[in-house]
Amino acid sequence: MIKQALLEAIGNLLAARQRSALALIGIMVGAGAVIAMLTVGAIAREQTARQFRAMGTDILLLRADSDTGLGQLPLAETEALVGQVPGLASIAPFMLSGGPVSAEGQARSTTFLAATETLAAVARVRVAEGRFLSRHDRFEPFAVIGPQLAENLSTPYSRIRTGSSIRVGRYVFTVIGVLEPSLPSPMMPADLNDVLIVSIPNGRRIMSQASLAWAVARSTPEADPEAVGRAVAASLQPLMREQRLSVQSARALLAGLASQMRLFTLLLGAVGAIALVLGGVGVMNIMLVSVQERRREIGVRLAIGATRWNIQSLFLTEAAVLSFIGGAFGILLGVAGAWGFAQFSGWPFVLSMSAIPLGAGVSIATGLFFGFYPAVIASRLDPIVALRTE
Amino acid sequence: MLELTEITKSFRTGPAETVVLRDLSLRLEAGELCSIMGGSGSGKSTLMNIIGLLDRPSSGSYRIAGEDVLAAPPDKQSALRNRLIGFVFQSFFLLPRLNAWRNAALPLMYRGTPEAEARRRACAMLERVGLADRMEHMPAQLSGGQKQRVAIARALVGQPKVLLADEPTGALDPKVAQEIMDLFLEVNREFGVLALIITHDPDIAAQCPRQLRLGGGRIAEDIRRA
Ligand SMILES: Nc1ncnc2c1ncn2[C@@H]1O[C@H](COP(=O)(O)OP(=O)(O)O)[C@@H](O)[C@H]1O
Ligand SMILES: [Mg+2]
Repeated sequence: MIKQALLEAIGNLLAARQRSALALIGIMVGAGAVIAMLTVGAIAREQTARQFRAMGTDILLLRADSDTGLGQLPLAETEALVGQVPGLASIAPFMLSGGPVSAEGQARSTTFLAATETLAAVARVRVAEGRFLSRHDRFEPFAVIGPQLAENLSTPYSRIRTGSSIRVGRYVFTVIGVLEPSLPSPMMPADLNDVLIVSIPNGRRIMSQASLAWAVARSTPEADPEAVGRAVAASLQPLMREQRLSVQSARALLAGLASQMRLFTLLLGAVGAIALVLGGVGVMNIMLVSVQERRREIGVRLAIGATRWNIQSLFLTEAAVLSFIGGAFGILLGVAGAWGFAQFSGWPFVLSMSAIPLGAGVSIATGLFFGFYPAVIASRLDPIVALRTE
Repeated sequence: MLELTEITKSFRTGPAETVVLRDLSLRLEAGELCSIMGGSGSGKSTLMNIIGLLDRPSSGSYRIAGEDVLAAPPDKQSALRNRLIGFVFQSFFLLPRLNAWRNAALPLMYRGTPEAEARRRACAMLERVGLADRMEHMPAQLSGGQKQRVAIARALVGQPKVLLADEPTGALDPKVAQEIMDLFLEVNREFGVLALIITHDPDIAAQCPRQLRLGGGRIAEDIRRA
């Protein structure tokens, strides 16, 4: 009986090919939208999670602001906080600016970051070749560059590597290290792939506005990062008069991002749901036409002993087959769309395990829901009236 | 076997009410072969729909083998239709997208008979009605007479007690019509099924042992051939 029902449903759908195709496309787009949305959501979530895993959740970002722009952190006092503030493991103040750099005639614009040698440990940057800045060569014209900048300045004839010279305005720096590629961190105001890192005295030379406005810090594993952040701010604030000090913790950022992400996924899901409802209405429309066209067939079936339920399941099976096939294509479409998004954004593609069963379930449920009304209409037909229609 | 007592059937069309059957009483015995004649619009099809449990009379009682079938709920009526009654229509009413044996097997499928068994019985019945070499044909590939044979196989496949045929030869040319009538005569004898044949054709009617004529909403004439 089930086999016969499926065969009949497929036969009937094939007989009304154009109509079936329309309904199929509706469901397919709907299911595809739901899947794509959910998968894109999962990709975005995974990407943020990776970023936070890479930088750790014990990281803090400090920023000083004055009324006229960026503020100034007192260098010595800030570094001295380690040991004074309980739970503070390390802190690295830095300056941030940007401008053109050149090497062997290649000119690029990049981010300038001036920091102490502690930055490497606090921001977890690793050197791929050469070494990082050290306490002893603060006044030497040394620079550490990000891998992207190294590549940007390289030509087929000369690769920028340790020992290369880079010109910044009037100054020429020797590259002493190139960083490993890293994920852009939401807690760092600069992308460490495309950066020129110099010592603080050198930074004051090359930056037009040399403000030691930033610092990254880490709390000890057992401390609450936000409490440590508050303690750091409380210790520094008296030294900074009118300036405002803002402290951002990875944990707070993570919480904010998580709720943003939820909203985003919800929104995407809603878009998908609307598409699916439109597909469902398409199915209903098409099924109603089909019921109208097949009145006599329904009459015959009733005459030879079909129950109301038999007639209902005849049409429900068609709706289910339609939405199953539509859902299957929709899953392919949705996953392909999400994969395209991953390629486009450069984020790693992850398939949310819930997306496929959810998409399939949702599309079949939609098909059945919207197929139900036509099926009931069909099963309520009066056999005599149905048989009399020519 | 079938017992209709004081059946009245009226249709309401707009403000007017048309009485089609008026206090009609009729008994049909098991295994009878009976024709019904009557002018167009005299209510032959209406009577057949009531006998076939497709329609309900406005008043009156209807018993099959002593059981009051009008009191049965709709799904019970579907089941009774499926087990007791086979229909044959003037324009065949085969399902266009099922082949001959699937059409013939349909009543069994609705009974829940396993497909292999249903197929075996449908094919046996198609063979019986002379379509041994047409099992897999689609309705569109069959002639009118062949379609009616499939319809008769479908009506008989479930071994019903009653075969109701509404102008079964009306759409066929005289030679084919006679072949179909011969088939009715044969299956009536062979299966002992009560066959009720509505017809406009006096030659067809004359071949039935019992001949009814409908007029004025009742059985106007009830002739039994000696
Ligand atoms: N469903 C219906 N609604 C209204 N009138 C009907 C309906 N069915 C039959 N009739 C009327 O009942 C009368 C008998 O119809 P029918 O039984 O089909 O006659 P026939 O003897 O030609 O088969 C006709 O006048 C027809 O118009
Ligand atoms: Mg009629």
